[in-house]
Amino acid sequence: MSTPLAEPFERLKCPWCQNLNEKSALACGSCGAPLDVTNLVSESGWRECPRIRDMTEIHFSSSTCQVEGEIVPVAEINLSSGDAVFFEHHVMLWKDGNVPLTLMPLSGGLKRAFGGMPFLISVATGPGRIAFSRDATGELVVLPLHPGMEIDVREHAFLLSSHQIQYSFVRIKGLANILFGGQGMYMDRFITAGSPGLLILHGYGNVLERTLKPGESIMLEPGAFLYKDSSVTMDVEFQKLGTGFFGGTTMSLARVTGPGRVGIQSMYVHHKTE
Amino acid sequence: MFCESCGSRLPQDARFCVSCGAAIKTQEAAPAEAIRPAAPPAPPPVAAPPATRCSWCGSPLAAGVLSCPGCGGRVSEMGMSTHSGWLQLPGRKDMAKLQFGQSTCQIEGLYVPVADMQLAAGDSVYFAHHVLLWKDPAITIGIMPLKGAWKRMFAGMPLIMTQAAGPGHIAFSRDAPGELIAVPIHPGQSVDVREHLFLTATSNVVYDWFSTNVWFQTNSGDDTETHYPVGAYMDRCSGTAQPGLLLLHAAGNVFVRALGPGESMLVKPTALIFKDPAVQMHLHFEHPQVGFLSWGSWSNRYLWLRVVGPGRVAVQSSFERLEGEACNIRGTSYATETRW
Repeated sequence: MSTPLAEPFERLKCPWCQNLNEKSALACGSCGAPLDVTNLVSESGWRECPRIRDMTEIHFSSSTCQVEGEIVPVAEINLSSGDAVFFEHHVMLWKDGNVPLTLMPLSGGLKRAFGGMPFLISVATGPGRIAFSRDATGELVVLPLHPGMEIDVREHAFLLSSHQIQYSFVRIKGLANILFGGQGMYMDRFITAGSPGLLILHGYGNVLERTLKPGESIMLEPGAFLYKDSSVTMDVEFQKLGTGFFGGTTMSLARVTGPGRVGIQSMYVHHKTE
Repeated sequence: MFCESCGSRLPQDARFCVSCGAAIKTQEAAPAEAIRPAAPPAPPPVAAPPATRCSWCGSPLAAGVLSCPGCGGRVSEMGMSTHSGWLQLPGRKDMAKLQFGQSTCQIEGLYVPVADMQLAAGDSVYFAHHVLLWKDPAITIGIMPLKGAWKRMFAGMPLIMTQAAGPGHIAFSRDAPGELIAVPIHPGQSVDVREHLFLTATSNVVYDWFSTNVWFQTNSGDDTETHYPVGAYMDRCSGTAQPGLLLLHAAGNVFVRALGPGESMLVKPTALIFKDPAVQMHLHFEHPQVGFLSWGSWSNRYLWLRVVGPGRVAVQSSFERLEGEACNIRGTSYATETRW
């Protein structure tokens, strides 16, 4: 078998994040997606989030992230000095003892809670190593954010974010499935200002994404919603489920309307909104 | 390099296509498994000098075998370690077969793997009663006497060790997606395992347990509660004259590292799977730096388990929530702390 001649100007475009990679690369350097696998798109238009191969390395700022394992993947970060990542406190798997931790000041963060703990965003600053994972089977969704991008994420679904990204959150009232009591839920918002950053989510089960055209909309089970571009609007709609007699029940669905991307997870996990 | 059958991009030294499995024609066509393309560059891949010992369990490997007879790990994935030095449990081919005594164990499935044992006459295994998946009617089951075992409970039931003797088939599995870890126990060796991860062991492995002495007490109102982040007890499995086999089930992926004497690491307490008896562990509190407002001190900390070498320590990537972490802690077992 002959090796193809080197073509120095040819670049491989990552089908997931559009990053241009060297021709010899096997995985995208900025999101970890395998470059030898084409987009897997269902007939109805959902694209599978790329399955990141074990031990793939991702670069952000001057630090690296290695994705390890394929059942409950671990994101192991090697922070270089001057870089930092922020995260919720309960996702840390292990760390070097000498990586400093601080808390991010959040306005209104004290109103939120997770599992009886106040909702706190912690910041780990390099140099040093720290690793993150979550409590159930799923996939890591790596979203490199370019300046000007805004992404909204289901509460408690983000694993970590690099310090270049600005964090805030909004509450959506009425949005939660009948199964979960309907007390509403929060949505985390990530905005990039000047420089690009890295956002990693953990989706439960498998993760699928589609790009909605302007005005195009789709109804989602709120438990499945994972992330969306901020240009995508999300409204609560109530569906009456009659039983033919008295009573019946209502079910809330999320109507998401384009333009932009929307991502869903196949296993609904709803951490109770507090 | 590209696959001639499906066109997928392949690493230069691939022998099989990672997408469609077609063999790649090369001059030195030797039978070997597909190399995972994303393996880190650090350890030399597969073929070069054949590994003589399994990187995970240490079993000797004959030249040319594809998977380890002791733990089922793929030889092609041996020595896969993260940049920070955690060794990953080598992937395992579905239906991988392990040998112990005159008996064999086949590991079936990849989400929640089943340990399907064919016990020879005279061989026996023991297990916690809740992991039995199925068995031949001919297999005899009895209760293994345990000293003081009435103190231990699992999900409200007393922990009973059940013993099954061959000949016949018996199979075990657990309740969460994860990995099945085969830990061969060599004569004189012991390993300490977090409670309730134990799946089964051969009868020549001595089962014992001890208090972890890692705890903290919380109070709310007049109630005081004691929490055990790594369990109140830990199982200790020790080898006898013959080598034995221990099977554990971990949630998620599994990583192990060997700590040097005095070397330490902070790990999530609920992620611990097993450790060598020489590895010491204690609680470690880390207080983040907060400049902007004063919080109740109780929420303003992280609770870690500090493990100190020498010896191996293994963690799982999926972990349960630590109970009592959010409460006011009034007393703990020996603990260290860092204030940033």
